Amino acid sequence: MDVIDVDKLVKYFPSKRGMVKAIDNLSLKVKKGEFFGLLGVNGAGKSTFINILSGLTLPDSGSINIFGKNFFKHEEEIKSRFNVATAYYDLSRNLTIRENLRIYAKLYGIKNPHEKIEKLAKKFMLNSLFGVRTRQLSSGERTKLVLVKSLLNDPELLFLDECTVGLDPDIAEITRDYLQQYNKETGCTIIFTSHYMQEVEQMCKRIAFMDQGRIVKIGTAKTLVHELNQQKVTLHLTDNMEKVKRLLQREKIKVIEENRDYLQFYVKNRKKVLYPILEKLVKAKIPFDDLHLQKPTLEEYFIRKSRERQK
Amino acid sequence: MKLHRITAMLWSYYYATINSIDRLFDVFYWPILDVFIWGFMTYFIQGISEVNILSVILGGILLWVFLWRSSQDLVVYLLENFWSRNTYHLFATPLKNSELIVSLWIMGLIRSLIAFSVMGILSFLLYHFSIFNFNFLHFALFVSILVLFAWGIGLIVSSLIFIFGTRVQVLAWSTIWILQPFSCVFYPLSALPSWAAKIAVILPTTHVFEGMRASITEQTINYGSLLYSLIFVLMFLVIASVVFIWGVKKSKDNGELAKPE
Repeated sequence: MDVIDVDKLVKYFPSKRGMVKAIDNLSLKVKKGEFFGLLGVNGAGKSTFINILSGLTLPDSGSINIFGKNFFKHEEEIKSRFNVATAYYDLSRNLTIRENLRIYAKLYGIKNPHEKIEKLAKKFMLNSLFGVRTRQLSSGERTKLVLVKSLLNDPELLFLDECTVGLDPDIAEITRDYLQQYNKETGCTIIFTSHYMQEVEQMCKRIAFMDQGRIVKIGTAKTLVHELNQQKVTLHLTDNMEKVKRLLQREKIKVIEENRDYLQFYVKNRKKVLYPILEKLVKAKIPFDDLHLQKPTLEEYFIRKSRERQK
Repeated sequence: MKLHRITAMLWSYYYATINSIDRLFDVFYWPILDVFIWGFMTYFIQGISEVNILSVILGGILLWVFLWRSSQDLVVYLLENFWSRNTYHLFATPLKNSELIVSLWIMGLIRSLIAFSVMGILSFLLYHFSIFNFNFLHFALFVSILVLFAWGIGLIVSSLIFIFGTRVQVLAWSTIWILQPFSCVFYPLSALPSWAAKIAVILPTTHVFEGMRASITEQTINYGSLLYSLIFVLMFLVIASVVFIWGVKKSKDNGELAKPE
């Protein structure tokens, strides 16, 4: 079953330069229980897309079905079954953690709110701060508060927009573990955006790469990086650094990083490109100490795609 | 509409009040200051006038508080959510516009009643002016018209906040005061110049304060003008509610609702 079924979504925003297309004919289906990642540079349309799906921004055209129902006809019911967490928006700053959570528990009509709040706050280590006002919290603590709020109603669909920003590494790991466990145990569908590529790679089964309001690529982390069709080569040398650089230059290979004892470059085809280079090194009696081949990461994919866009 | 969501919002206003000196000042400090300043001034004028000016002025201040607090508080508590950047999370919940509106109305009324009670007690202690001087039925009618009108004004200003964001927040504190000179709170309609009287006679508030003066001085109340005021405010409230819902829709349309401050 598709939890999210979006068809030909279009959204324009007014700007000083006229109307800007923030979402451009976007269609997407996300299945129940998927941990789905959204990637893209700033302004690619990720947050606008999440805002539309959360009912905070209205699309100009297109259809949105969530849980198999038309979003705008069943907004109240659908909203009671999903939740949102974002690092960009706080809960009421003048209210304490306990007060804020009580209000949201009431808004979602949660039974046994006290028990639920205690349990989640303990999980995210917020229970010792119950009486502290939100404005006095650190940014990481505020992010944790928003995360706890987002889990209050046992959501079947969760939108997480940069929800690990500002968290200490250990808390970020606890958060990731909890979300993965929650996804596994409850079958909750999670839409996840983050600037930490490793996080996206680790958590998301499917990833969509957005650019200028469109999904330009969709697949698993493996299929996306496979598209790059390249490997990073690290060649460790003690001497002859300049000779190797000249050789690579002749082969039209660009050195991406160099240090006192190593060189890094990309090769698209191991057999056709790398092996001949190694042969030439042997023939020229240029010894090398070590050789590392590294598959491209999602981060490299992201950087490559972003640079292509800039060009 | 779901009661648990309306009570959730009322709890949020309660917490926002007890945690904020600003919100406590609004409901106690300014109304008390009004009673002192206007009361002492009228106490002085009372000595050189034959008219029961103390009752007329204090009655005006006490009734004005319903219009003032109910309209201003409605917008300010909405603004609290904008300032906190909490609007995003609030509108992602199943909370309906109608539930938000009703919660804001109730909160405005409760705060008006608190401010009115404090002012009433103070007026009695300082000037021996009793709110029980009012004819109860007249008083209930006056308050109803003023509160309904205030709710309407609050909704119109709130819709502007939704559309334009906090850059027009000054309207929350200023709008109601534009009406005061034309509402004949402290002086009769006949005291206004003819151009101002033409505006004043349209406003429901003018008829309420004229009625209040007639009630205090035991003159005949013009029920026709109060009926006009009641119909006016009811129609105004319906229009204001539609404008509010349109304002929320517009803010979702132009992205203002999901825009960080």
